[in-house]
Amino acid sequence: MKKNLGILGILLVVFVATAIGNSNFLTAYNMFNLLERASLYGIIGIGVAFVIITGGIDLSIGSLIGLVATLLPFLVLDLSLPLAVGLIAIFALSLCVGLTHGVLITRLKLQPFVVTLCGLMIYRGIARWVVSDKTMGYGNEVFSGLKVLVGNMSQLPGMSGVSWAKHVPVAFLILLVLGVISSVFLNKTIYGRYLLALGRNEQAARFSGINTSLMIVLAYVICSLISGFGGLLFALDYGSIQPDSFGNFYELYAIAAAVLGGCSLRGGEGSIVGIILGAALMRLLMNSISMLGIDDQLEPAVIGIVILLGVIVDELVKRFAARRRAIKQAREVGA
Amino acid sequence: MSTKLSRVCGVCGIVGITCIGLILVGCSGNRTEESSQPKVAYITNGIASFWNYAERGAKDAAEEFDVNVNVQMPGTNAVEDQKRMCQDLLAQGIDGMAISPVDPDNQGDLLAEIAQRTRLITHDSDAPESDRLCYIGMNNYTAGRMCGQLVKEAMPEGGSVMIFVGRLGQANSRLRRQGMIDELMDREPDENRYDEPSAGEIKGEKYTILDTRTDGFDFGKAKAQAQDAVAKYDDLGCMVGLFVYNPPFILDAVREADKLGKIKIVAFDEDEKSLQGIKDKEIYGTVVQNPYKYGYESVRVLAGLARGDNSVIPENKILYIPARQIRNDNVDEFRAELDRLSSEASADTDNPPDAKNDASTEKSVTES
Repeated sequence: MKKNLGILGILLVVFVATAIGNSNFLTAYNMFNLLERASLYGIIGIGVAFVIITGGIDLSIGSLIGLVATLLPFLVLDLSLPLAVGLIAIFALSLCVGLTHGVLITRLKLQPFVVTLCGLMIYRGIARWVVSDKTMGYGNEVFSGLKVLVGNMSQLPGMSGVSWAKHVPVAFLILLVLGVISSVFLNKTIYGRYLLALGRNEQAARFSGINTSLMIVLAYVICSLISGFGGLLFALDYGSIQPDSFGNFYELYAIAAAVLGGCSLRGGEGSIVGIILGAALMRLLMNSISMLGIDDQLEPAVIGIVILLGVIVDELVKRFAARRRAIKQAREVGA
Repeated sequence: MSTKLSRVCGVCGIVGITCIGLILVGCSGNRTEESSQPKVAYITNGIASFWNYAERGAKDAAEEFDVNVNVQMPGTNAVEDQKRMCQDLLAQGIDGMAISPVDPDNQGDLLAEIAQRTRLITHDSDAPESDRLCYIGMNNYTAGRMCGQLVKEAMPEGGSVMIFVGRLGQANSRLRRQGMIDELMDREPDENRYDEPSAGEIKGEKYTILDTRTDGFDFGKAKAQAQDAVAKYDDLGCMVGLFVYNPPFILDAVREADKLGKIKIVAFDEDEKSLQGIKDKEIYGTVVQNPYKYGYESVRVLAGLARGDNSVIPENKILYIPARQIRNDNVDEFRAELDRLSSEASADTDNPPDAKNDASTEKSVTES
């Protein structure tokens, strides 16, 4: 948690500054929206973190989200398949995508950047081709049951009478569950430790008996499965899918959230709490820009500056800690 | 040593975080002051020069009718951006919102959310199924037929036609395209007809629609698609760009291939390059909307509603702003009109521009 203090500090400063700047910021309506957006982006951030921790990257997340979001209504509405079949198909597809990425990276030794960059183009092209660029929608009754996933918690069974439930998005609950499972997996299971170990030094991990290829494949499979699930949630939330643009740049938002949250692009480092905070900060900034009436055109610049400052502060704090450790050790040796 | 280092890092950290706070609060400095003016919002469906005229109209009306207007333009992820922008504006508390929905059929939840929390009107692209109080814009199907008439005039002997458009998900582009196709196929008017773009060539007696290419507001792709079409079809007769930025890219592609005159170009909207192309007889003509009036009328109606004046809404809840055909013979006159609008926007607000009066007087004509 200590290493997430920097990002938490920035999050709090932005939160307080926005609350002071606009009293409507703290309304239940805005908090619900903010929490929901942060949760959706947090979910795909957790997915990509598994890959980043191994020292890899996945640039195809946005296109996979676009493909999954496009295919489900195509299968269910255009091909009249049952919803369950459609859901199984999109999760099977996500699994296959992750498996293919992992196998190409570990067996053919292709660079993750290249493999997933090609994936980015391939999945986007397939999504557009399958439906001839036609806009797909989730307004049909068939999907009304699934929409609970992007509703509020009072829509869950047994929660209708709970007063606070209607102010908490279900997506937040999903994020919490996924976050806890991922955190336990990474920090408390041997496989999680393997992932972190191979991210730090793959060769050393292999020599110590870890099947690194299998673990890398597993990381890409987890990433694609979570991305596919995230894609479903995004699709249900927005309702309208433009196959040529839906999910564009989501991979960058996910990667930025992971890096902001303490993941090193060199691998071996990362915490789930940090990633959730990173995703929350990005969404909070977008909301703050709107709430504070900052020119819309400045939005990317403000986000870029804040992230850069965040990373600089984080780096300085890390250097300070390392320096202090070194001095302490030197003193101990001297003594 | 360690104390000094710790101080430096501490100061750096505090300075960094303070900077973030200052950036946020500083950028918003002049906006957070409370005002008694009604607050309304004008949401477009993308970023394009077309919308700059609408923004100007919206801001002029805001001054004239004493309201505070917030104009927002979504980027390439338009559906997501629209949702976020609308929800953020609703959270701030606004008195009315005019939106051009990207995909009215599937944005029902968002439109219902807006209608529930404030006064909702649509502009440019309608959502008749929603609880919108009014639609302001042209009849896109009729405008599409007007575009088809220009193609017929440009290529009276018949030939093949390619259509280029940003998106087909939104009702305005679908209707525009369908109107044009129906005109070229000499069909009876039917706004519910829809020829799937994936169905392949549409053959009529004299005209053949080869294909419809969409670019999702990606200008690089728009240009590449125009170039590819010129390269692919030797006997291409006419290229039609249905969104404001399409015709200039088509013109570039045809010019680069040295096929000016051989391939006719018909435009939509009033990009300066398209108008110059019409002046130079490189583009046959264009169908223009009046985005200035979209913006102006939207804010005028919202201002009236915010003050409790429901008479601003026509009986049929539709305020049509008619489209016009611009050819070589009237392009100078039209450009002069645009220049006047541009200069008036920056002129003294004590002298309301003629266009505003035009917009107000046209209301009675277009309401029918």
